Amino acid sequence: MQPRISRHLLSVLLLMSLAVMAGAGEITVRDDRGEQTLPGTPQRVVALNWSLTGDLLELGITPVGVADIEGYNQWVVNPPLPERVADVGTRAEPNIERIAALEPDLILLSTDQKGLAGTMERVAPVLWFDAFRRDHDNVEKAREIFLTLGRVFDRESMAREKLARQQQRFEKLSGKLREHFGQDLPEVAVVLIGGPTTVRLYGENSLPQHALKRLGLEPAMPQPPSQWGQNKKPVSDLSAIDEGILLYLKPTRLAGDLFTTPLWQALPVVEQDRVAAVEATWPYGGVLSLRYLAEHMTEALLTIDPDA
Amino acid sequence: MVRYATALLLLCALLWLHLRLDGALPLAQQWALVTGAEPAGFDQVRFFHSALPRALLAIMVGAVLGMVGSLLQQVTQNPLVAPMTVGASSGAWLALVCASVWLPQLGVDHRALVAITGALLAVALVLAIAGRNGMGGLGIVLAGMATHILLGAAAGAIILLNQEAAEGVYLWGAGDLTQSDWRWVQWLWPHLLLLPVIFLLAPRPLSLLRLGMAGARGRGLSTGPVLVVLLLAGLWVLACSITAVGVISFIGLIAPNVARSLGTRRSGDELLFSALMGAVLLMGADALALAASVWSDNLVPSGTAAALMGAPALIVFARRQLAGQGGALAMPPGARHLHPAIPWLTGLVVLALLAGSLTHVAGSDQGGGVFSWPSELIFSLRWPRLLTAAGAGAGMAVAGLILQRLIRNPLASPDILGMSAGATLALVLFSLWTGTSIYQAGPHVAFAGSLLVLTVLLLLGRRSEYAPAMVILVGISLAAMIEALVHFVLAQGGEGAHNIVNWLSGSTYRASGTRSLVLGGGIVGLFALALLCSRWMTLISIGDSMALSRGVNVPRVRLALLLLVCALCALVTTVMGPVAFVGLLAPHLAMLLGARRVRPQLWLAMGLGMALMLLSDWLGRVLLYPQQLPAGLVAALLGGSYFLFLLSRRRPL
Repeated sequence: MQPRISRHLLSVLLLMSLAVMAGAGEITVRDDRGEQTLPGTPQRVVALNWSLTGDLLELGITPVGVADIEGYNQWVVNPPLPERVADVGTRAEPNIERIAALEPDLILLSTDQKGLAGTMERVAPVLWFDAFRRDHDNVEKAREIFLTLGRVFDRESMAREKLARQQQRFEKLSGKLREHFGQDLPEVAVVLIGGPTTVRLYGENSLPQHALKRLGLEPAMPQPPSQWGQNKKPVSDLSAIDEGILLYLKPTRLAGDLFTTPLWQALPVVEQDRVAAVEATWPYGGVLSLRYLAEHMTEALLTIDPDA
Repeated sequence: MVRYATALLLLCALLWLHLRLDGALPLAQQWALVTGAEPAGFDQVRFFHSALPRALLAIMVGAVLGMVGSLLQQVTQNPLVAPMTVGASSGAWLALVCASVWLPQLGVDHRALVAITGALLAVALVLAIAGRNGMGGLGIVLAGMATHILLGAAAGAIILLNQEAAEGVYLWGAGDLTQSDWRWVQWLWPHLLLLPVIFLLAPRPLSLLRLGMAGARGRGLSTGPVLVVLLLAGLWVLACSITAVGVISFIGLIAPNVARSLGTRRSGDELLFSALMGAVLLMGADALALAASVWSDNLVPSGTAAALMGAPALIVFARRQLAGQGGALAMPPGARHLHPAIPWLTGLVVLALLAGSLTHVAGSDQGGGVFSWPSELIFSLRWPRLLTAAGAGAGMAVAGLILQRLIRNPLASPDILGMSAGATLALVLFSLWTGTSIYQAGPHVAFAGSLLVLTVLLLLGRRSEYAPAMVILVGISLAAMIEALVHFVLAQGGEGAHNIVNWLSGSTYRASGTRSLVLGGGIVGLFALALLCSRWMTLISIGDSMALSRGVNVPRVRLALLLLVCALCALVTTVMGPVAFVGLLAPHLAMLLGARRVRPQLWLAMGLGMALMLLSDWLGRVLLYPQQLPAGLVAALLGGSYFLFLLSRRRPL
């Protein structure tokens, strides 16, 4: 009996020590499917969603593969994507064989890509984040995702620092606005022109509105929360803006001649010259993309006469 | 005259309601503004520059749709012909999607030309395929629906690859009347001067046409040229109104049917009353859209409201007129006998495609273009896709064959007849209702949708003994409803909207091992059932009386076979989304190759369906590497083009 027990003991000990050795680099994180274990700090990551791509770049990590690079460069732009990243196809159906060929050690998925997790997991560990939902705060979630990624890549302090710096930047911008408008900041509505007759109005749970809040501004046309925080509205609805300001995001190539129509001209905000255009920014990005929105919106707001 | 007075009264009431919903200015102020007062203040500007032109445009466009719809239906003597069913709306839609992606700098004004060109080309294509003889029957409608599906698939592919760029045309695709000035009214009204011309010139040749072409010629009148000119004029006005407000397809189909069921007899009467009915219907639909927009936080496009309202109405109104239209179409001639090598060859092609897809390496960065034995990982990724593609191809081929035998129409196909549309509609609605991704809806939702459509078909078809026209009618209605809902989702915007387009393209991408095995097993089982039913199919395809004389309980057998088709469609649709054209094409090809009896045709069609889907899946994977196109979409493009080619070569359908 003796030798057998000792042999068992030995193997148990051996296994334990192996586990400890492996555990040295092991990372446990929670994504929106539950607890996930990664073997170590990932070196080769593939991001299949643009906001996660942005998050990685903000953390100073260049992914080995990204979905729809052409689209990213055209619509998201900031932060810029280095040239050497491989394109792995569309976001809805990324090319899994190409991803496998890149030999990643982590694949990042977002929102609608939950269904891909099972297959992707056969190539590499997967983290899936349910970023945009009607029943949670999208920005709080984006912040959480960014910090999780910071922890995964062993850059948590960097992530926190970036968030803190962003907060400082918000305060500075807010100060500028108060300087311009006085202590009572105006209410603001943000839209994207959807065509010569319609706008997409950003409401509760959208990044543009959240950026406004962080600057200390209240929405001029509050909207109930929705998954993407936006509603389609006819232009005439913008007459509901009373004392507030109307910002529209560029590009305005869909606007046609909306700006010269009598209806637009008669909108109270337009008549009183409280309208400004905001430089193009991707409104579905990660938590740090709020900064671009805030910067550009402040820039636009400062062009408006506070007494108008 | 009572009819006209009532309709006009209804129109006025709807106008009042419409203007109330859109701004709610007191009637006295409205009157003052209409009679020339300068609008002062936003509410008055809104009434004068937004609500009023919108209401007028609803009347104008409605009248155009109604009258041109009536003209088309009278010329073709076919109550199912309309802008949508002859491909005009999908032609315009495809052209605009192309323009918005590749010519984004094109101004809003130039869209008009692009849309008109697209619409006219598509209609020309359909007319060329159907030919003069095919116009009266179901031929033109089936050719039109096939074109509609093909062009829709092409537009879908472009949207999938250029999601953000196509954004600008989505609302237009949904069809919306919202106005912010008088521009479109001013642009459109000169074109409307063609309507009185049509009304004055058309009745005579149209009445003669009712006597039959031969009768007309007998009186020394050549109606052909006059009608062609009138048709062109009608299509031109139609294209103009599509340009102004987008795709609102249902009014043109339903207005003439309503007019006829309310008792119009003479040609001119029908033209005029259809125009009036068109205006009434569009006004009503637009009022509904306005009310729904207020209620739902989101703008509801007029076209969506029109389709949701019009689809059931079409069935109600067109049903009676269609009862008489049985029209068995002849099967296409082909090889007399099945060459013994063909089954072997088909099997070989399927095997070669399987082997090729398994081993082919795409993309230059992986040492592309070569064949190598897949690693365990690659193998485990590929086989579920291949099994799904092959299973779906086989399933749709068998479903198509059963339908073609059952309905005795070689153009019958589950995707055109609404069997898969039921499953699709259920999934789209589920995703809209619950706000979840369409991928998360389970198979039971798809199955429930298929069953619902089947029930509707059975209820409506019982009296007509499942006449082809009735089945096609339901198919068209469902297709239009799906389209309207999809455009509504796209118009709402948001990152998730494109998922629906992706799913609608029918993709093997998300096939898991288990799901593909379930599909494969299910198809094998249902195929065995189909083989068991082959004697029934043979007898029924010869004729009901023949089947009856051999002791077949025809209604019950029809029901059983329809159930079989629904099961096949629900199974395929749940696993990979709608798959178009395979069900139409595979049985056809089998017939052309000489498989004339049911059993060999079943086997051969199944093989051909598998081959087509495997080829599509492989092409979708490698053509645009690293991007991928869904297999269903490639199959629709391949199959659709071949189908149109086939149709154009055999004039008399």
